[in-house]
Amino acid sequence: MLMLLLGLSTLLRAQETAQLPKDETGKYIYYEVVNTNVAQDTLKVRLQRFIQKQKKELKPVLVGDVKEIVANGKIIIRKSMAMLSHPSGEITYRIYFEANTDKYRFWLSDFEFFPYQKDRYGNFVPSTTVGIPLEKEPKKWNADQWDDYRLQVAKYAAEFSVHLKEYLANKVAKTPQPSEKKVITKTWE
Amino acid sequence: MINKMKNNIAALSFLLLSAATVAVAQEKASPLEISGSVDTYYKYDFNKTGNIKTYFAGEQNSVSLGMIDLALKKTTGKASFVGELSFGPRGQYESIPDAAGGYDPTANGFNIQNLYVNYAFTDKFSMTAGYMGTFIGYEVISPAANFNYSTSYLFGSGPFQNAGIKGTYAFSDKVSLMLGLFNEWNQYRASRGVSSLGGQLMVSPVKGWTAYINGLHGLDGYGNYSTVIDLTTAYQITDKVKIGLNAANLSAGDDKFGYSGVALYPQYAFTPSVALGLRAEYFNYKGMSGGPSASVTSFTLSGNIKSGGLIFIPEVRFDNDKDFSQSFVKSDGTTLNKSAAQFSLAAVYSF
Repeated sequence: MLMLLLGLSTLLRAQETAQLPKDETGKYIYYEVVNTNVAQDTLKVRLQRFIQKQKKELKPVLVGDVKEIVANGKIIIRKSMAMLSHPSGEITYRIYFEANTDKYRFWLSDFEFFPYQKDRYGNFVPSTTVGIPLEKEPKKWNADQWDDYRLQVAKYAAEFSVHLKEYLANKVAKTPQPSEKKVITKTWE
Repeated sequence: MINKMKNNIAALSFLLLSAATVAVAQEKASPLEISGSVDTYYKYDFNKTGNIKTYFAGEQNSVSLGMIDLALKKTTGKASFVGELSFGPRGQYESIPDAAGGYDPTANGFNIQNLYVNYAFTDKFSMTAGYMGTFIGYEVISPAANFNYSTSYLFGSGPFQNAGIKGTYAFSDKVSLMLGLFNEWNQYRASRGVSSLGGQLMVSPVKGWTAYINGLHGLDGYGNYSTVIDLTTAYQITDKVKIGLNAANLSAGDDKFGYSGVALYPQYAFTPSVALGLRAEYFNYKGMSGGPSASVTSFTLSGNIKSGGLIFIPEVRFDNDKDFSQSFVKSDGTTLNKSAAQFSLAAVYSF
């Protein structure tokens, strides 16, 4: 029984932390098609509002083809030492969105890693303006770290997808407010 | 009447403080960030004396200390603070003043490289106040942030820190402007009031290219009221090729110390772990009271060999001092020489 539980937990962990698949060009991609009864125009308006709300992480990109909505995003990677951490880099990506009559699709791709370096003010900033594509095979000495970046991206993309779909479906969960406690001074309780 | 006014002011202050405390408590806090670096070096001057006197890597034929640097950063909502301490020759008397404002290696100091608070009023506008690394120049004190281990004449002649208050407005990702009021160069406290005016215009015309045009007017490190104008720019042309440029001019009047200079920094990355960089510098000391100026040229070739957080920096440097302003000497220790050359090897670990 114990062996079965251990095996199951390992299998579940492996499923949770799988890397992203690659598209036909060899790039990592998170791709999803969603059936919907929300009108195309409404979807696009909600997506633009979503991008605006996430303005620290997402920046809209103007494209010639208005059928497609594109935004640039970034994930801050932190180097942890016990309870303390500082940013060690960022992974930028691009999100693409298209809507159809009864479905929409979106995908996250073009993942690139930018290492950070401390500047003269003690802040961590990108040390280069040329990113390293996540598809690039790492050297032996940083293979583990590179795998970790890929797993973090996969986890981020999955969580991002949940938030985006909820927002587009107008199903953003309201945070339950604790009931207000009242004190009745007339009683001894 | 006066007591009533005092009570009202006290009440208002308490109310504002309480409101600010509640607002901060409700905002999201980031984890405390701790980072830093340690470095050590060996240097050998081919004339067996410490001829080249630019900052850091100054000890001849010795395995010597650089510094240990520790930085703390915390962000809570729109407010953040940075506190950065440093210990060792590079992190103490070679780069920051002691408690009395001098650079006496035997005197006590505060060991502070950066100590400031920042508040982002909006996504575009923020203000910062405290003791900060200078915005002037290409090179910095931290060995982890420079490609070369030894520093340039431009670096050594300019300010190292600016204590004061500044506001920065980002018009876009490509243009921002900073204006501020500062103490005199490097000092923790102002001797003649917060009277230096400084500014920085940042432009990023194309992806990979950023330029900073800096200006600072006020009491400098030479005891004069001067104006320094500085251009610092870097262009990552490809993933392998990067070029940097620093040019500066300090003017304080004909009878007072001034300088000008330009340094070029081409770099080539053979792999993400191995890169080679050159620093070619021309530096001119302006003549005082109508006297002649003196110039120095310097060529520094440095390698950066990286493994995780560790960087090895082998370096050779050749300086030419045709006007004998640097007092280079030959191996006998007394005969003046127009040139100097040194080799150094440094190890820098960042965490």
